[in-house]
Amino acid sequence: MGYLLKRAGQGAIVLWAAFTVAFILLQALPGDAIMNRFLNPDLGLTSEQISQLRQSYGVGAPLWQQYFHSAWAFLTGDLGNSLEDGTPVRLLIEGALPSTAVLAAFGLLFAILLALAVAFLSALAPFAWLRNLLQSLPSLFIAVPVFWLGIMLIQILSFKLRLVSIINPGPVEGLVLPVATLAIPLSAPLAQVLVRSIDETLLSPFITVAAAKGASRVRLLVHEVARNAVLPAVTVAGLLFGELIGSAIVTETVYGRVGLGRITEAAVKAQDAPVVEAVVLISAIVFVVVNLIVDLLYPLLDARLRTRAAAI
Amino acid sequence: MFSQRRITGLAAAGLAIVLLAGCASPDLSSSLTSSQGTPVSGGTLIYLEQGAPASLYATQSGAYTSGGINNNILDRLTWQDPKTLEITPWIASSWKVNNDATEYTFHLRDGVTFSNGTPLDAEAVKKDYDTYGLGNPDLKLPKSEVINNYDHAEVVDPLTITFFFKAPSPGFLQATSTINSGLVAPEVLDHNLDYFAVATNVIGSGPFTVASQVVGKEIDLVARKDYAWAPERAANQGRAYLDEVKYIVEPEDSVRIGSLLSGQADVIRTVQAYDEGQVTAAGYVLLAPQTKGVNDAVNFRPSNPLVSDVHVRQAIVKAIDLQEIHDTLFSDTYPIATSILSDLAAGYVDTSKYSKFDLAASKKLLDDAGWAPGADGIREKDGQKLVLKVYYQNPGGQPQTQQTLELIQQQLKAVGVGLDILSPASSDYATLLNDPLSTPLYIGDAGRADLDVIGTYFGFKNRNVLKNEDPELERLLAVANSQPDQDKRAKAVQDVQVYIAKQAYAIPILQEPQVFGAAPYVNGFTFESVGRPLFQGTWLAKH
Repeated sequence: MGYLLKRAGQGAIVLWAAFTVAFILLQALPGDAIMNRFLNPDLGLTSEQISQLRQSYGVGAPLWQQYFHSAWAFLTGDLGNSLEDGTPVRLLIEGALPSTAVLAAFGLLFAILLALAVAFLSALAPFAWLRNLLQSLPSLFIAVPVFWLGIMLIQILSFKLRLVSIINPGPVEGLVLPVATLAIPLSAPLAQVLVRSIDETLLSPFITVAAAKGASRVRLLVHEVARNAVLPAVTVAGLLFGELIGSAIVTETVYGRVGLGRITEAAVKAQDAPVVEAVVLISAIVFVVVNLIVDLLYPLLDARLRTRAAAI
Repeated sequence: MFSQRRITGLAAAGLAIVLLAGCASPDLSSSLTSSQGTPVSGGTLIYLEQGAPASLYATQSGAYTSGGINNNILDRLTWQDPKTLEITPWIASSWKVNNDATEYTFHLRDGVTFSNGTPLDAEAVKKDYDTYGLGNPDLKLPKSEVINNYDHAEVVDPLTITFFFKAPSPGFLQATSTINSGLVAPEVLDHNLDYFAVATNVIGSGPFTVASQVVGKEIDLVARKDYAWAPERAANQGRAYLDEVKYIVEPEDSVRIGSLLSGQADVIRTVQAYDEGQVTAAGYVLLAPQTKGVNDAVNFRPSNPLVSDVHVRQAIVKAIDLQEIHDTLFSDTYPIATSILSDLAAGYVDTSKYSKFDLAASKKLLDDAGWAPGADGIREKDGQKLVLKVYYQNPGGQPQTQQTLELIQQQLKAVGVGLDILSPASSDYATLLNDPLSTPLYIGDAGRADLDVIGTYFGFKNRNVLKNEDPELERLLAVANSQPDQDKRAKAVQDVQVYIAKQAYAIPILQEPQVFGAAPYVNGFTFESVGRPLFQGTWLAKH
């Protein structure tokens, strides 16, 4: 319990730091989101009208005032409005977060399943050529650009074969191609780590002992190797969460899905500070929570850590 | 004091037609307007849009994205016939204008309501026009660029309203037909500008209402069942045939085309010139309504020292081979510009003789102006190189901006002029673009089918794209924007075009269409006067 509280405290510090660093970076960048929004010639505004609008949006207030103002607003749950078009940030996030969460969760799940399949099948492969083929898949997966993969999947599975709709699809139908696009490259590093750690574990003396006792290859993998080999992969999976957001930007753009990735891309480009701040905070929260989960998983997977944690 | 003309055949429009006789470019908008067979009621139309609308505040409907939505949810006082450009009755059944165009009286149709039940009466119109005409700084609501010299409005009776202007405002009647003057329920205008970013907040009296929105992704429009006040000239006088229109944002060109051709979408906006063949080959319909205003052009900022010399600007204009640009990058959907205004715009005059492609003349002008070729072939004068910076955004407001600029870059190299093509981050773009010392060039266009458009585009107190301080240009624009006599006003607009061409203030490139692809079973898909889509008369045949 004390451990959890300590971690929560650390989490809060990470969140504050993320907010402050994002604020400083956004302020330090040249460019002006409000100016950009209203200088758009399609709006037909005169320079007089634009400077009036800038004033009414509080451009030019001292930095510390802006900092405390936005920090307080965030603390009280007021995420403000997008500088780009005035949409309430809360509405943007509410629209995007569930969509990205589902995409990321299934993307990660399928990446893990794919990695496990590649790693265990290659360990079980009866022929060397099959084993080599399976083990070279991750290199191929990681080399494929996400953007190209997405376009190809759409062109072939949706437009040519008409198997799935990407425009106005059902909730499950709409996930098939984006999840595949996300999972394939994501599975590559996981599979590589798994393949290596399975190989290493197979060389351990306790495996030789188990094999000598007459355990079959499958039994060895499932009962003896798996638990040990999976530890490094869990660490990598936690780190991959960052990668997920990056891939989600491309995936969401290609499939025209609304999501955190797409919002982030647009907001960063336009220096839409309130939106970027909100996304940074949400990402930081997710990272803190995921890392906490990974740390809590270790003792469950590794008996040695469990006793040590109990001793502390 | 009022001339009693009920303006159904507006002089400006009539004059434009006379001027245009025989030289107008094809307006491909009519292909689907003649409905075949009896309209079928019901159904949902899937419409793929290139980008999400930023704000649905009516005066900001100039962008294709927001204009495309507002055109379907907001009615206007008048309707401009897209073919003849006449101003015809809509919410206003009749109107009177005084001789010097400073007082306009409109009689409203009875029984019109906004979708929240509020009656659309003279009080509501007054609130809308006071806001659009003057702006509301407390609510950050800017004034409309299409309404000039607005003073105030008076409600004469519940269905009659008179507008008063500080100075002649001859463009006002057409302004009442633009999407920028879309009528909204008065209570909507009690909120600030940010309120209009949420589509469901915008309450109009139009044939559709916004049922739901996923910000940045989708807007669902549903037909208003009691709609009975379509423009007098609309083919469908009742409610929309469709039950629903789904506006779905899909930024990828290839995905929009593929979705259309694989039956996942019914209509898509923006088909690039190089994709047009795919659409027609599959038996689908290509629609390319013209935007009938200021053409796509590269405009100069004469206050930038590199292009302050008229001879340098003329040399650059003469170095551009428009035919090559057209043939290499575009199709017949994109007519070559022959003036700063579209040949379908009111008051158009052909000025192409001032901008004929002529490499020898171009080089001579540059030589005479003292710009001599340097070691790398780029001209120099007093140690300064003749290299122009130009900024663009992708996707920009104009089709294939980057490719067009790259071709212009090659063409200019032939006469020793450098072009530095830059695409800054969107946060910096507008700031850089609006500083004439940062860039001597501005790429743009504007759609509005009225003599006013040239003034609101180039005017010092309006968009002022040239960032110019040329008193002669301003004098000509003032005449064009305030002359109540339509013939004299059209003449003034022609004078402006000739002056801009002679001064080489711009390189008109193309007459911009909005290019749509539609499935063959889509009928009655029409456009307002500058090519924004209208679904009120659209229906889906059995397929």
